[in-house]
Amino acid sequence: MAMLEISHLSKSFGQNKVIDDLNLSISQHKIYGFIGQNGAGKTTTMKMILGLLPIDHGDIYVNGKKVVYGQNETNQYIGYLPDVPEFYGYMTPMEYLKLCGDISGMKGSDIQEKSVELLRLVGLENVNKRIHGFSRGMKQRLGIAQALLHNPELLICDEPTSALDPVGRKEILDILQSVKGKTTVLFSTHILSDVERICDEIALLHEGKIKIQGTLEEVKSLQKSNGFEIDFLRSHDADAMEKEYAGSQRLNATRLYYPSQGEEEMLKAMNMISQHHYRIQKIEMRESTLENLFMEVIGK
Amino acid sequence: MKTLIAFIKKEWLELIRTGKLILLIIISILFGIMNPLIAKITPWMMEMLSSDLADAGMIVSNFKVDVMTSWTQFYKNVPLLLIIFVIIMSTILTIEYQKGTLINILTKGLQRWKVIIAKTITMIGLWTMCYWLCFLVTYLYNIYFWSVHNVADVLWGASCIYILGILCISFIMFASSIFQDNYAVLGVTGGMFILSYALSMIPTISKYLPTQLFNSMSILTGTMQIDQFIGSILITIVLSFIAIILSILFFNKKAI
Repeated sequence: MAMLEISHLSKSFGQNKVIDDLNLSISQHKIYGFIGQNGAGKTTTMKMILGLLPIDHGDIYVNGKKVVYGQNETNQYIGYLPDVPEFYGYMTPMEYLKLCGDISGMKGSDIQEKSVELLRLVGLENVNKRIHGFSRGMKQRLGIAQALLHNPELLICDEPTSALDPVGRKEILDILQSVKGKTTVLFSTHILSDVERICDEIALLHEGKIKIQGTLEEVKSLQKSNGFEIDFLRSHDADAMEKEYAGSQRLNATRLYYPSQGEEEMLKAMNMISQHHYRIQKIEMRESTLENLFMEVIGK
Repeated sequence: MKTLIAFIKKEWLELIRTGKLILLIIISILFGIMNPLIAKITPWMMEMLSSDLADAGMIVSNFKVDVMTSWTQFYKNVPLLLIIFVIIMSTILTIEYQKGTLINILTKGLQRWKVIIAKTITMIGLWTMCYWLCFLVTYLYNIYFWSVHNVADVLWGASCIYILGILCISFIMFASSIFQDNYAVLGVTGGMFILSYALSMIPTISKYLPTQLFNSMSILTGTMQIDQFIGSILITIVLSFIAIILSILFFNKKAI
């Protein structure tokens, strides 16, 4: 059974259709990257999963139970980390986790034990000051601790790394990776390197629809050829090649790039180089990246 | 029940740590002291002003104060205490929308009606504490300086204003379940009183309106009896219940 099942989901704000017939299925114990530009509808979708926003059309099922707007029954399976987690600033981290544990219906002894464990996991075990003095990164880490407190089966993280420095980002990604295997993670972001680093599967949201969905490898394989690059040792060889074999882009004095050309074309170029005795440093296919694919899908 | 208690505890911790509790307690005690104090110093003030007043053609002689002067001050000051209470507490839910602090709590599985009930219980507890503290301070000073008034009349009279406080609390919750801005909350709560005052121009219904309860000083002076307030007490209680029920219904459908 899928941990999260979304079928024919639509949502509009006034005349603006934010989500248009969205279908998504997430299996258990995977890290699922939910990518899209700012304003693509990622947060809106997440809020509908959490029952915080009304659904215009379609259904959402979490662990087989239907999400009903305004009711929180399905939230017992979910841990949620908002993009900017907000806490009661007058509380200490331990007090906040105690409140979250009580609200989740956990036993007192379990709350204490789990809070200590999670504060250690996120590196806040010795922080006894009140939350209003926390940095953005500390709040994000406390956000993960509160989201994982009740051992959720589905962890929803809304752009958890977008406002963090590289160290903070690495810490958050390491924490998310550490829960893989126990918890299903739905992770929205527009930082594609983060997705490539930790996600098993991805879905690309554009103009309210899922444009691409699958494992990272499957998705990358969908991309048209990235072309190849030739790095010459002498600039006049590059000039000659540019005239001899059309369709290149000049990257610098000695480098040529042939976009959207495959291995066959690269072999043809290699034959030409060998015939004319051009001296080259290297010739290589450009690696298929999520970023290139993303740009291709959104038409930029 | 455990989740409701946990959220009520959080509300009280917030009142303590944000300084609202101590502020309201101090204000309540000050108002409590002010009532007999103003009554006590009025003859002295009048004496001080008598020569100026004589120049203006007014003669002040044998100005006497008694326990009723102190209670009159009480009934003048408690509406002010209620206004201060409403201003301070009007942000109780709107600040949670504005800061986004409810999102974590609701996604933890707290049922929405419990948010409304916990905040209502907290405000009723706080109003009870502040109002009766103000009353108690005035009452004890009145006994000390003057005499024991008919306790039943004093309690009945004071209870009428207390019930108005409960109505204000329920309207704060009602407005907060619709609006995200605390000025709108203040507007709705104040608007309810303005409407009640406007309707009180109609003699046939004026005795059933909540604002009739502001006249409960008349129970002490003997110009009105408690049974003349029963209609407005019942209407106020019913209105409070309706406002709370509507708050829950609106809040259940509120996009957060």
